Amino acid sequence: MPVAPARAQPLEAIAGFAALLREHGLKVGVAEHQAMVQAALALPLSGGAAPGGPTSGPVWRESRISAAWRAVACHDLRDWRRWPDLFERYWYPERLKGTVKVSGQTRPSRDLREVVQQLQQSLDSGGAQPPRPGGAAADAALEDRPADGDDPGLRRAQGGASRTEALHDRSLSMWLPQDLAQLEHLAERIAARLRRRLTRRWHDDVHGRRLDLRRTLRASLRTGGVPVQPAWRTPRRERPRLFILVDVSRSMETHAQLFLRIARAFVQAAGARVFVFHTRLAEVTPLLQRDSAAVQEKVNAVTAGFGGGTRIATSLADFVGVHARAQLGRSARVWVLSDGFDADEPHRLAEQLLRVRGRGGRITWFHPNPARPASAAMQACDGLIERFIPLHRLRDLALAVPLLH
Amino acid sequence: MNAGGEQALREQLESAGYIADEDLATTLWLAGELQRPLLLEGDAGVGKTALATALARAQGRRLVRLQCHEGLDLSQAAYEWNYGRQLLAIRLSETGAERLREADLFGRDYLLQRPLLQALLSEDPCVLLIDEVDRADEAFEAFLLEMLADHQITVPELGTLQARHVPLTVLTSNGTRELSDALRRRCLYHHLDYPTLAREMAIVKRTLPQTESALVEQAVAFVQRLRREDLDKVPGVAETLDWVRALHRLQFKALPEDPQGLMQTLGCLLKTRDDRFQIGPDRVRNLIEGRRSVGVAEKAAA
Repeated sequence: MPVAPARAQPLEAIAGFAALLREHGLKVGVAEHQAMVQAALALPLSGGAAPGGPTSGPVWRESRISAAWRAVACHDLRDWRRWPDLFERYWYPERLKGTVKVSGQTRPSRDLREVVQQLQQSLDSGGAQPPRPGGAAADAALEDRPADGDDPGLRRAQGGASRTEALHDRSLSMWLPQDLAQLEHLAERIAARLRRRLTRRWHDDVHGRRLDLRRTLRASLRTGGVPVQPAWRTPRRERPRLFILVDVSRSMETHAQLFLRIARAFVQAAGARVFVFHTRLAEVTPLLQRDSAAVQEKVNAVTAGFGGGTRIATSLADFVGVHARAQLGRSARVWVLSDGFDADEPHRLAEQLLRVRGRGGRITWFHPNPARPASAAMQACDGLIERFIPLHRLRDLALAVPLLH
Repeated sequence: MNAGGEQALREQLESAGYIADEDLATTLWLAGELQRPLLLEGDAGVGKTALATALARAQGRRLVRLQCHEGLDLSQAAYEWNYGRQLLAIRLSETGAERLREADLFGRDYLLQRPLLQALLSEDPCVLLIDEVDRADEAFEAFLLEMLADHQITVPELGTLQARHVPLTVLTSNGTRELSDALRRRCLYHHLDYPTLAREMAIVKRTLPQTESALVEQAVAFVQRLRREDLDKVPGVAETLDWVRALHRLQFKALPEDPQGLMQTLGCLLKTRDDRFQIGPDRVRNLIEGRRSVGVAEKAAA
């Protein structure tokens, strides 16, 4: 047990940071890691730039490093938005207020300024060994890292459940805003797996099988009428249409809000259409498309009028007959997020599900409790629902990834 | 080591009429330093394309622009053989005594350079703007990878053409389609957000120096408040500039108290029917006065 906190080596510290970024879903591979080190080496030290200017000084310098690394490590808006928090969490945990600190553990103190200075000095002094991030040095850095309060996974995971697992295993009724990033990631994975179907539409493709006569002739004009470059077409493959029906009845009160979040993730990842139902059905897709602070307010406004019982069969009838009439085809996937308690006559639910099946839609039922819904209405639906998936924890959704295609 | 390089770049950009914040200047400088392309994302009208044009002006480089669209292919983006000239050469060789070899037909003389190749083979360093890359097809994106990573284009008949000077490449995207990971990982990334109040005022004052200061301040504050409303199409910097220009042409010295006078000019800011319907005279009055609606209750802006 070391008595004094050890100083982390610069490359190790950056490798640790890269590992933290990876843990949080940022795609930081060897190339990015290398670019981060290069950026740290390339950026001038604070004293050298704009001497006497208002922007010189350590704060200025750190924000430069942060901006440079952000440009390297972030690849999309989601990463971009999460960056400030991750950067602070790793390099300045003391600035984070209100977080739980684990006592009795030693960790190497990290000073970004020092890390960068050491890196640059090692280069200036002839660089006995040029930094090789991502290679053996980085791996060794990861293995040598002491147990760390900030970083999930890594060493702590060996002793028992890691923090990541804890997050997955927590009931969804106790979801936290941090889970949303993982949720979006999962939604993207599932959306990518949705099997594309052949359609009867054709589009241009150099490796296509069918000759596009019109374009070939048009192109032949520039070669004096000789069709030197034939144009080819191939049938278009389209992602299946995804419909998500979220039960927002009173029995689903604790889950409805998160289920709407899940639905929203699929609106963005797979262009799903989302409906909420209670005693009647309403589409909320346009409300979920925009990332606006007022989304929840609007969804609440739409759902506020509902109360009392759940009429799943009536809502489904409305869905099949009115809202999705033109789109419910062979490639449609209908996901119902509900506990299955229906106030309509039990046989009606089966009838409506049969209509969906008759149109070619494939139904998956997500239920908020670990056990399958066993209401009278649901018992009559055996064989009509392709798959039941419990959605009690985020891990359930992760486990369902291979099943949803 | 280029001490203060990003600061100098920032000043250059400012002199070219683009006010960049520190983070953006650092990223741009790093893109030049690491010779990596820069992928700019952000809503329409936040100044993505303007950044590339200003960068070219600031550094005295030529701007080569490739506007992407659906169906964009290699022959429009990179190179094309000059078929007409090739045919002519064949005809001439048939009539003349000089015998033509196939290799002659596929030489540099017969190669038409499109923007990407122009940027690579440019005699002087240039800025390459690949605008709205998300509108191009995925196949084109895959083609870009070679160009972005290795600064080269392979022409099967001719071999690999290396860049004379690595162009400073800026890609912009509006997010109409998700770009591939492969493309994203070859680029530095920067997300351009709507500018802060102070920055937007500086931009407007810089672009429209003849406009009254009071009008600029009030109009920009109005637009900033308008952006917090739940709009289909949030007005960008370009819209702010249009609006202030319109107000200036209409001889406004400051925003009027009466919203009716402004309603005709709001077409510069609100571009959809729903937004026009939503922002009526009452809402405009609230926005002018600095109040914004929260649910059904109204409260004074902080």
